[in-house]
Order: sequence, then structure tokens, then C-alpha cells
Amino acid sequence: MSYFLQLVVSGIVVGSIYALSALGFVLIYKSSRVLNIAHGQIIASGAFITYSLTVWMGIPLVLSFALGLCITFFLAMSVERIFLRRLIGEPIISVIMVTIGLMSILDGIIYLTPFGTENFSFPPFLPTTPLVFSGVSVSWTQLVGVALTAAMIGGLSWFFRRSTMGIAMRAVADDQMAAMSIGISIPKVFGLAWALAGMSAAAAGALIGNITGLNFDTLHAFGITVFPVVILGGLDSILGAVVAGIIMGLIQQFAAGYLDGSWGLSSTGEIMPYLILLVILLFKPHGLFGIHEIERV
Amino acid sequence: MATNRWLATGNFFSSYREEQRIFFTALDRSALLASLCLLVLWPLLVTIDGKYMLVIDTILVAVVAVLGLNLVTGFAGLISIGHAAFVGIGAYTVASFARLLGENHVVLTHAWPLLILLGGLVGAAFGALVGLPAMRLKHLYLAIATLSFQMIFQWVINFMDFFNQGQTISVGRVVWPGGTVTRGQHYLFWYYVILTVIVVLAFAVRNLLRTRYGRCLIAVRDNDRAADAMGMHPGLTKVYAFALAGFFAGVAGGLQAYLYRGVGIESFTLHHSINYLAMAIVGGLGTLHGAFWGPAAIKALDLLVEGFSAWVGEMLTISGNLATAFKPLSFGLVIVLFLMFEPRGIANWWRIARSYVKQWPFRY
Amino acid sequence: MKGNRLQVAALAVALLVPALGGQCLAAGKVHKLGLSLAITGPTSDAGNPYAKGVEDYFRLVNDTDMLGEDTIDCMIRDDQYNNDITKRNFEDFLSEDIIFFLGYSTGSTLALKKDFEEEGIAVMPASFHAGNTADSNYVFLPIASYSAQLVGLGEYLAAAHREGVPKVALFVHPSVFGRGPVEDLQKAIKAGLKLDIVEVVEHGKDLDNTAMLKRLMSKGVQYVLTHTVQSPVASMLKDASGLGLAATSFGEPGKLTFLGCHYTGGNDLVALAGDAAENFNWVTSYIVTNEPGPGATAQLQLAERYGRDDKAANSHNYANGMMVAQVVTELIKRAKAGGGDVTREAMHRELLAMNGDRAFSPGTTVGPVTFSATDKAGVDTLQLYVVKDGLFHSSGQPFTPVYTDKIK
Repeated sequence: MSYFLQLVVSGIVVGSIYALSALGFVLIYKSSRVLNIAHGQIIASGAFITYSLTVWMGIPLVLSFALGLCITFFLAMSVERIFLRRLIGEPIISVIMVTIGLMSILDGIIYLTPFGTENFSFPPFLPTTPLVFSGVSVSWTQLVGVALTAAMIGGLSWFFRRSTMGIAMRAVADDQMAAMSIGISIPKVFGLAWALAGMSAAAAGALIGNITGLNFDTLHAFGITVFPVVILGGLDSILGAVVAGIIMGLIQQFAAGYLDGSWGLSSTGEIMPYLILLVILLFKPHGLFGIHEIERV
Repeated sequence: MATNRWLATGNFFSSYREEQRIFFTALDRSALLASLCLLVLWPLLVTIDGKYMLVIDTILVAVVAVLGLNLVTGFAGLISIGHAAFVGIGAYTVASFARLLGENHVVLTHAWPLLILLGGLVGAAFGALVGLPAMRLKHLYLAIATLSFQMIFQWVINFMDFFNQGQTISVGRVVWPGGTVTRGQHYLFWYYVILTVIVVLAFAVRNLLRTRYGRCLIAVRDNDRAADAMGMHPGLTKVYAFALAGFFAGVAGGLQAYLYRGVGIESFTLHHSINYLAMAIVGGLGTLHGAFWGPAAIKALDLLVEGFSAWVGEMLTISGNLATAFKPLSFGLVIVLFLMFEPRGIANWWRIARSYVKQWPFRY
Repeated sequence: MKGNRLQVAALAVALLVPALGGQCLAAGKVHKLGLSLAITGPTSDAGNPYAKGVEDYFRLVNDTDMLGEDTIDCMIRDDQYNNDITKRNFEDFLSEDIIFFLGYSTGSTLALKKDFEEEGIAVMPASFHAGNTADSNYVFLPIASYSAQLVGLGEYLAAAHREGVPKVALFVHPSVFGRGPVEDLQKAIKAGLKLDIVEVVEHGKDLDNTAMLKRLMSKGVQYVLTHTVQSPVASMLKDASGLGLAATSFGEPGKLTFLGCHYTGGNDLVALAGDAAENFNWVTSYIVTNEPGPGATAQLQLAERYGRDDKAANSHNYANGMMVAQVVTELIKRAKAGGGDVTREAMHRELLAMNGDRAFSPGTTVGPVTFSATDKAGVDTLQLYVVKDGLFHSSGQPFTPVYTDKIK
């Protein structure tokens, strides 16, 4: 039983990181209908920026984390301004390819820094002894990760429900024409969506970096890992991203915990998300919470 | 009206049949024949290093693959982020024979044209299978479906012992009427084989686009509801577009297996799928000759950047780290710049140049 | 329209030739070598310092006239861990008439094995996969193969474990690189090695290894033998120490003791795992720079001479690259001394003769480099290191695994 509970707990922890990674992806898609393939690179940049602020500039971790979020906020905003603004209204393949190009460019830039090829690790700032509740253990880093995810998601949902800008963003997501006619600036909304996405990606990156250490390959792989999550949750649903992230975390942990090692199977946790992805795409393509706008042909 | 057989300054078609001709003017035909002759003859006149011959062969293989990708993405408008997996299926069809019979079995060395064709057919079958979701999915969702096919393909190859768990499976040297192809002849031999395949397939595509099946693809891309109303079956058309793309990719895979004399998963990853897409876009989506420009441009860029990095590295005597960063940087920049400033690709330059020549000395 | 490809190729040639051609104007003979490896892309954290090691040592050879008038021109190309690019680089090197090829990954070495054979060119990859040398006369591993390393770890474990048969789990990379040695360890167990393999885990890019670690604990596993790259090991070590499952001394009952082969360890592991790397056991044939000795001094001096940062200077992959360059330089030296031209055949011949009193001690390894027609692995001795206070310290004397011969 404690094994099962442990899997549940780790699943939730991993899932909340997925949720945080997927959040930025959904934000961009929801407001501007852009599938951001370069998301993994933004996650990695967030982690690297936070690290360099902490270690090379000697700023306390909490402060540099906040500063890292700010920097990626503006970084992502300028990415939107430079690369995507021109492509509003272009066919979908152009937009996808631009994010692919962006991915390569960010790769190149990261290879210019030591982070491209070397490994780093955040200085420990939390107690290393885990918390144990009746045989189930959680490390402090993970606990902070979950708390941070919850805070980010709480903050964002407050922003979308209560603030004027948030409501404007929802209006744009709902109907661009109508939003424009009441005086909402679409480019501003798109820019902000990217900025918020960059911020949540940076938070995810810093967290993952704390858990696995900073390795570029590991970090940018998250850009691809979010696909199954966002499809399961629905491409345009923030709630969906959270729920699907946690479901995916649980499924992965259960697959790793119960399937691996029996019947000669291994690393099933890796492929499970994609199998689920295919099934979802075939039977419920708009995901669990996505708006049903799929046209049948 | 008497028409000039060599030059046409405008569109004077008076029947559909005229519009569907393969060559509009005798000049077109002669130009194509001349360039074909050149392509066949130049290796006999100049010898170049194995490296460049390999690069040229690789470009040609990519041309075959991109021809297929252009059919599905350019003409039928269905985004495929899993094209490398289809190429992989063709290659692994050949490799599985090598696995079953041994790399130098007579089937592999003598019946290689059949195996390459079989690679194409298996590719087509998988293409149709992956295309099935296209009956229900559109746009982004379809793109993600092909992406997941790519991931599953990689996992299966990596997992299965039969496929040597992704590690290289060797394929033996082939025999042709002139004897076994030796190391020295290898790249030249495959140059001619792939060139032949390209000529055949390019004509097939050109002809396909003249038929109702080809126009069907374009109709579905432009407006699938209208196509439906015209009595086409958009769903089936999409499946068939994927099957066609799968066929081309499969043939490319078979050729690649023989060219590299081995099949390993590293040649068929997501990275390669993205590369194929980039080639299709840089070349020009929805044009036949775009499939020739794109691979050439992307591969040449690769080489140029490599040379440039080496040069910069020497000039500044800095670590390889800086120099090698140029590669992804330039690749990304080229894609982005093309999309921003020339979304119709290099094929558009060709079109502009052509219409200039056509109308010369008049401006319009 | 197709003719354009030719033009592009011609243009590429025209632009590349001056870039490549300017190097061969020195006096004396120029011995050309080629190295193709992953400076960017996957495994570049190992490839990068490796390339620096090779580059620096050959620069030292040329700068200090180690070969008299002769110089070495080693072309280093990035292949991004992509076999197709490796093949292209190799063809390029061939047209430059290289006499020796320095390879890198398991994948590319296996993919090009046929070409090496046909060209009759000796190759030394950075991959120590035992399968590289199978059916090949020209592939030589710089140090003991992964199989030998894993078996060596097994032997060490069997000897150090106090009571009963130690229960172990294997944690390997999901590729032939990872899986290859597993079979050999199983063979060694059949041949009498006292070890009980409870489970073989192929890792993915897991964020959390709790499930796996708990499962291993519940199966009574006491040792985890790892054979992969640093990053997954680091995340597992972090989880294990987070869960309080990591042993604080070798073989502590009720805890997990972690051991690993060449590419799991080194300073990169400490950089990634931080404190969680404490008590990790690592086996390799290279020396470490934090333990003074002639090899360590030579390595640090070389890195300092060419302005490398501390991280590269102390990397075991820098030592790895340096050692391979040392061996190749020694081969050229011997081929010259033997009279005649320094050709591919001469290099191959000298490699095969590198044994007995012609064994070579580069100083950067814990034992001599020996090759023969039957011994395709250079340094056969291994050294176990344990992490204490963020540094690898040698534990016990260098040893040679005995079961590797029994399972051949």
C-alpha cells in the first residue's frame, strides 16, 4: 500500500511539473493559436538564466528566481514581437515552422554559452532529508515545486478572472474580431500571452533544473513531453493542462512502477504518453477540457 | 492563331488539354533535356571527392523524400512532422531482410530494385495507416498525430531486438550487370540509381497533378467543404495523400539504406523530420521543383556553415563551442527569414526568373 | 532546374577549399588525422572536453617539436552525434589522406565498421563498446571495454560484499551502448561470478525515480550498477539520497550502494548531482586530477598552457582525449623510428605491436596501453574511485578483471 501511495505522491509531483510546463504552451495556443515547438528551449533558457543569476552573480536563489521570471517574461515578449507578429494571419504551417526555426536559433544561442554542453547543478537551498509520512517520502524540492506550481496556477487563474487585461485576453481567445471591435489591442494581448508563457516556462525550467541538474538535453526534451499533456487536457484549457499534467504524471509513475521489470518491458513511462496521445487524438481530439471546435471532414 | 513553339509570352490556352500539357513550350522541353544530359554526363567529365559525392547523393535521397512530403504538405495541405519515420520504415524494410537473411544474401545484393520498391510500398501502407486519423483530424491535431507516430516509431525500433535496438544493421554491397559495386564506384553508382528514381518519380508527380486525383489533393487543401460538395471524398483523399507521401519516403529510405550500407535509428529521428519540413518550405511548398531546391539549399547551407565555422575557429582560435553554435543558428535563421520574407520559397525566385525570361524584352 | 544542385555543390567546394587548404604549408612531413565527434548535440558534455584534450595535445606536439620537423594535422569535426554526418566527415578525411581515424560514438563506429575494414585504417573511438571490435581488425578501444568495466565492478562487488550473494540491479542506457555489457555480465555470472542480477532497468528521461528505487528496495536489491551517461545517474542519486536510500558506506545493509562505469562518473556527475554524489563508486582506467601524480600534472599543465578552464582541465574526458592523442603520437613516433613512411599500414602494424616491452605508458591512465591482434582494448587495468567531499578518490589498487577472459 505504501508503494502505491508513494507512486501517487511522486506522480502528483512529476505531474505538477508537467502542468507547469504545459501551462505556458496552452497560454500561447489559447490566445494566438500558435503551436510553440520552441517551448522546451524557453524552459531551458529560464533554468539557465536563474542559474547564472544565482551562481555567477551571487544573488540569493529566491530573488534570482523572481528575477529570472522577469527576464524570461520580457524575453518571450520580444520573441513574439520579432518573430511572430509578422506572421499573424499566415497559414498554420508557417507558424509551426517559425517556432521550429526559433527552436534552432535558441539552440544556437544556448550553444554559445557554457550551458549548451556542460552540466551544472543548483546549490542546495533546502534541507536534503525528505519528509516522511507513514512510509511515503517527499523531498523538500518536490514539495516546493508543487507549492510553486499551485501558486503560479492560482495567480494566473486570478489574473484571467479578475484583472482587466486577463479578461481582455480571454475575450481575444474567444473571438478576435469582436475583441478588436471593442478596442482590445490584439498584438498587445499576444505579446502578453507569450510573456506569461515565458514566465511559467522559466519557473518550470528552474524547478526541473533543481530536480535533475542542468543538462540542456534533458531540459529541452520537455518541449516535446508537453504535447501529450496538452492534447489530453485540451489545447486551449488551462484547467486541462493542470489536470492532464497530473494524470500524465500518475500514469507515468504507475507504468514505471508496475509495468517495468515485468514481461521484459522497460521505460514504458516514456512511451505511455504518446500511446495515450494517439488514442485521445483518435477518439476525443479536443481533449478532456478543450473547446469542441474540431471539424469532421 | 499561330503559336510560337519556342516562346509563349502569355496564356493562350484554348482547351483544357492544352493547359494540361507537361511542357508548355519546346524551350521548356529542351531546357529540361539539356539539364538532364548535364546531370548524367558531368560525373564522367569531372571527379570529385567522396565527401561531395556523398553529399550530392544525400541531397538526391532527400529530394525523393521531399517530393513525397511536398505532396502531402504542399499539395494536400496536411502537416506531417513524422516524415523521417516514413523514410525510416522504407529503410527498415530493407534492413529487416538483411536481419532475416544475412546482409550479403542474394536477395539483398541482386534484387535490390525490388527491395527499394517494396520499401516504398510498406511506407505507403504505413502512410495510409497514419493518415487514417486525418479522416477526423485537421491542422494542428493532425500535425501532433504525425509527431506521435514519429515518437512511437523511434521507441519501437529502439525497443525491438529484431531491429538491433536501433543500432546499425548492415546492408551488403549490391551487384549489377557490371559486377559487384566496389567502394570506389559506390557513390557514383548510387548517384545514377537515385537520379533515375528521381526522374521517374518527378514525372509521376507531374502527371499525377494533371489528373483528377492530383487536382483532388489541391481542392481538398484549398477548401475541403467545397471539395466535398463537388463530390470528392476529402477523408479518403487525405489518406491517399499520406499513402503517396509514405511511398516516396519509403523509396527514399530504401535508397538511403543502400547508400549508407546500413540502417540505424539515428538517421530517422524527429530532428530529421523537421529537416525535411524545412527543406520543403525553403524550396517552396506546393511546387514540384521546390522539392529540388530545398534539399540542395539546406545541405549546402550545412556545408557552408561548417566551412565558415572552421574558418572562424581558426581566425579567432577559440574553442569549438562557438563555431559549432552557428549551425543551428543559421538553420533557424534561414527558416525564419524565408517564412518572413519569401514564404513561397526558392521556387518563387525560379518563377520570377522564368517569367522575366519569358517576357523579355518586355516588362510585362 | 536540377542542374542547380551541381552549382551549389561547386560553390560549396569553391568556398571550402581555401578554408581547408591553408593548413599544410609547414616544413617536414604533415601527418594527417581526423576526429569526428559530438561537440554539440547529445553527449556533447563528454565530447566537448574530449575534443579539447585531443586538440591541445596535438598542439603541444607541434609547438614543442615532439616529432622533430614533422607536424600533426588533426582535423576535428562536429558530427552532432549523427552517424550520417560522421560518415560524411570520414569520407572527407579519406580524401585528405588521413593515416588514423579518431572516432566517437558507439553508433557511428558500428555504422562505419565496414568502411574501416575496406579502407584498412586503424580507428580509436571514444566508445568502449565491446561490440565495436567484433568482426573487425581495425577498431581499437583506448581502455577496457564497458563489458570489462561492468564485470570488473561485479568482481569488486562480489569480493567486497560480506555475506551471501550480493543482489544487484543494473541501470543502463536505453541503447546498445547501455545494453551491450549486460549480456557479458550475465555470461560472467554463468561462468561463476557470485552475483545475483535482480532486475535490469533501462532508464528514460524520468523526473522522478522514486517508483523504481522503491521497487528495487522491495526486491532486496543492495547494489545498483549503472552504465549510462551522467545526467540520469545524477537524478537517480538525488532521488535516492532524498529518500534516504543511499548508503553512506560501501554495502551498508538496507541501503543502496551505487556503482558506475566510465561515462557515469567524473566531475560532471558531481556538478549535476551535488551532495547526492557522495559515496558513488566509479570505475575507469583514467587518473583523476585531484590526486597528485605525473599524469595529473601533465594534464593540468596542458590545459593551462592552452588556456582551458578548470572544468575542462579536470574532466576525465579531457584526459580521455589527451590519452588517445598521446597514443597516436607515440604510434607515429614508432612508425618513424622503424624507418619507412608513416602510412595507415605502419600505424596499424605499430598498434598491433604495442605490447610486451613495447607497451606504452601515457601517464594519464592507471596502467600501460597494450594492443595485439587478440587484445583490442588498450589499458586493461581499472581503478575504483569513490566520491568524498565532492571529489573522486581512488579506493584500493588498480585491478584487472579476471572474468573477461573466461567469457570470451
